[in-house]
Amino acid sequence: MPDALQAVLAAAAPASASILLAAMGGAVNRQGGIVNVGLEAKMLVGAFVAVICGAATSSSALGALAAAAAGALVGSAFSLVVTRLGANEIVAGLGLNLAAVGLFGYLLPVVFGVSATLSPPGLVGLPLLRIPLLDAVPFLGPVLSGHDPLTYVSWMVVPLTWLLLYRTTWGVSLRATGADEEAARAAGIRTLLLRDLSTAWAGALAGLAGAQLSLGLVQLFNKQMTGGRGFIALAAFYFGDARPGLTALAALVFGVFEAASFRLQGGELAPQLVQMLPYLAVVASLLVVGARRRRLRRRRELTPEPGR
Amino acid sequence: MIETAPAPLSGGPVRGRLPGALRLLAPFLIALGAGAVVLWATGRDAFAVYGQLADAALGGGTQIADTLAATTPILFTGIATALAFRAGAFNVGVEGSLYVGAFAAAWTGFSFPHLPGAPLLALAALLAALAGAAWALLPALARAWLDVSEVVTTLMLNYVAILLTSYLVNDHFLARGVANSMSPMIAPQARLPPLLPGSQLSAALLLGLLLLAGYWFLFSRSTLGFELRLVGLAPRLARASGVDLRRSLVIAMLASGLVGGWAGGFQVLGVIHRFVDGFSPGYGFTGIAVAILGRNHPLGILAGALFFGILTSGGGMVQLVSSIPIDLVNVVQGTLMVFAVADLGRLGWLRRWAGRA
Repeated sequence: MPDALQAVLAAAAPASASILLAAMGGAVNRQGGIVNVGLEAKMLVGAFVAVICGAATSSSALGALAAAAAGALVGSAFSLVVTRLGANEIVAGLGLNLAAVGLFGYLLPVVFGVSATLSPPGLVGLPLLRIPLLDAVPFLGPVLSGHDPLTYVSWMVVPLTWLLLYRTTWGVSLRATGADEEAARAAGIRTLLLRDLSTAWAGALAGLAGAQLSLGLVQLFNKQMTGGRGFIALAAFYFGDARPGLTALAALVFGVFEAASFRLQGGELAPQLVQMLPYLAVVASLLVVGARRRRLRRRRELTPEPGR
Repeated sequence: MIETAPAPLSGGPVRGRLPGALRLLAPFLIALGAGAVVLWATGRDAFAVYGQLADAALGGGTQIADTLAATTPILFTGIATALAFRAGAFNVGVEGSLYVGAFAAAWTGFSFPHLPGAPLLALAALLAALAGAAWALLPALARAWLDVSEVVTTLMLNYVAILLTSYLVNDHFLARGVANSMSPMIAPQARLPPLLPGSQLSAALLLGLLLLAGYWFLFSRSTLGFELRLVGLAPRLARASGVDLRRSLVIAMLASGLVGGWAGGFQVLGVIHRFVDGFSPGYGFTGIAVAILGRNHPLGILAGALFFGILTSGGGMVQLVSSIPIDLVNVVQGTLMVFAVADLGRLGWLRRWAGRA
C-alpha cells in the first residue's frame, strides 16, 4: 500500500503541475474581476507553440518561454475584447476555447499532414531534475524529486502569487479593482489596464502549463492533450475562492485524482467517477459557501445592531 | 469573492451604437473573415471553399434535408438556452441536460422493446425531459435560495454529465459485441419517422418547430412568459409587481433543462438511434451562440440555428470532398461566439466609418 501511495503521489506531482500553473494564473485573474474560462485555449496554444519552437531551436527552455509568450499574447487579445468591448467573459471564453480547438484540428492535417498528434524531429523534452539531498529521503524522495523543471516552477508560483497579490502595490490595486471597480477607478487606479495585465499573466502561466504537458509529461502535441485541464484549473480557483494557498491545495488534490484515475483504468472503480470529483467538489463548495452566507445574513437580520 | 448577480451578456454602459444591420451582421462577417484568413494563410481559396460549403449544404433536396437535420439539435439547444436567458438565468449547462436526456431516451428505447411505438416514444420523450430538467434543478435551487451563481454550477455539471453517461454506457449498458462507448440500438418502433428517406432528417425537426411556436406563444401571449421576461429585464420591478422571483427563476431553469433534455433525446430517437459516449460536438454551447445571436427572438433563434446547421452540414461535405477539415467550422463558430457578445459600437473608428458609409 505505501508503495502504491508513493507511486500515485509521485505521478501526481507532474500530473498536477499544469493544473496548478493554470489555476494560479486564473486566481490572479479572478481577484482582478475576470473569470477566465479560456484557460483551456491558452494551454493548448502553449502546448503547440512549445513543441514548434522547441523543435525549431532544439531547446526545451526556449520552447517553454515561447509558450508563455504565446499564452500571454492570446490572453491579452482575449482581455481586450472583455475589458474594452464589454464582452461577456464566459461566452467569449467558451468561444475562444472552441476556436483554438478548431484551429489546431485544422492546422495539424493541412499544414503538418498528421491527423491528431504532432511530434516533429529534433524535439527534446524537458529534463528530469534530481534534487541531490531530497532525493535520498525515504518515501518523500521519489515524490518530491525527479520531476521536470516546470513542475518545480509550478510550486514556486504559489508563494510568488501570494507575494504578488498581498505584498505588492500592483496586487493590492488589482484586488481593489476586483472588489469594486468604480471605487478603484475613483482612487486613480487604471482598472482596465490592470485587468488586461492580470489576464496576460494568467495567459502566460496557462501557456507554461501547456508547455509542461507537451514537453514535460510527454514529448509531442496532441489536439486533445489539454483534456479539460483548463476547466479543472477553473474548478480549483473557484474551490479555493481565488486565494493562493487554497487554490494550490485544490489543484494538487485534483492532480492526485487525475493520477489516480490513470491507474484505475481497467480496475474496479471506473476512472470517470474519479474524474468527476473536481467538478462535484466545486459545486459542493459553492453550495456550502452559499448556505453559510445565507445563515450569516439571516442572523444579521435577526439580531439588532449593537448600540441600538 | 464569488459573484452572485447574473452576468450581463454585454457589460457596462452602451457607449455608442452601430446601425442596426451592421450590429447584427458584424459578428458573422468577422467570424467568416477569421475562417477566411486561416484558409488563405494555408494556401486555400477562401471564397471557393465557402462557395463549396454553401453548395454542399443547400445545393439539392438531400443536401437541404441533411442541413435541416444538422439544424435540429441546435434549434432545440437554442430554444433551451433562450428560455433561461429571457428570465435572466445564465444557464450554460444545456450541454449537460442534453447528455442525460439523450441517455434517458436511449435507455428507454432499448429497455422496453415490447412496448408499441407510440407509448414507447412518449415514455422516451418524457424521461428525456425529466432527466434534462433534473440536471438543471440543483443550479436553479442554488441560485434562487442560496444566491449561488448558476454560471459556474451549470458549467461544472456539464462535465459531470458527460463523464456520468460515459461511465453508464461503458460499464453498464454496452452493446453486445462492441468494445466500448456505444449502447444497444433502440427498438425500431422507438425511432422517429424519417421525413426524407436517404437523408438524416427526422420528425424531430417538426417537434423543434412546434416547440419554437410554443416558445413564441409563451413569451408574446402568456402571462407566465410576460412575468419571466420582466424578471429578466427588471427584477426589482418584477418583485414590486408581485412576481415571485425565485419561482420564476426555477421555472425558467427547469424549462431550459427540459428542452435541453429533448435536444439530446430527439437526437437519439431521430438520428443516432443509440447512446454514443461523447456524441455531442458541443450542441449545447452552440445553443448559447444561437440564443445570443438571435437575441432570444423566435425567428432569430431559427435563423441562428439554420446558420450553424449550414456550417456543420456543409463543412462535413467539404471535408469529404476536398479534404478541408471540418474543424474550420469551429474556428468560425468560436470567433462568432466571442464577437456575438462584444459591443463593437465602442470602437469609435468603426462607428464613424459606419456613419459615413
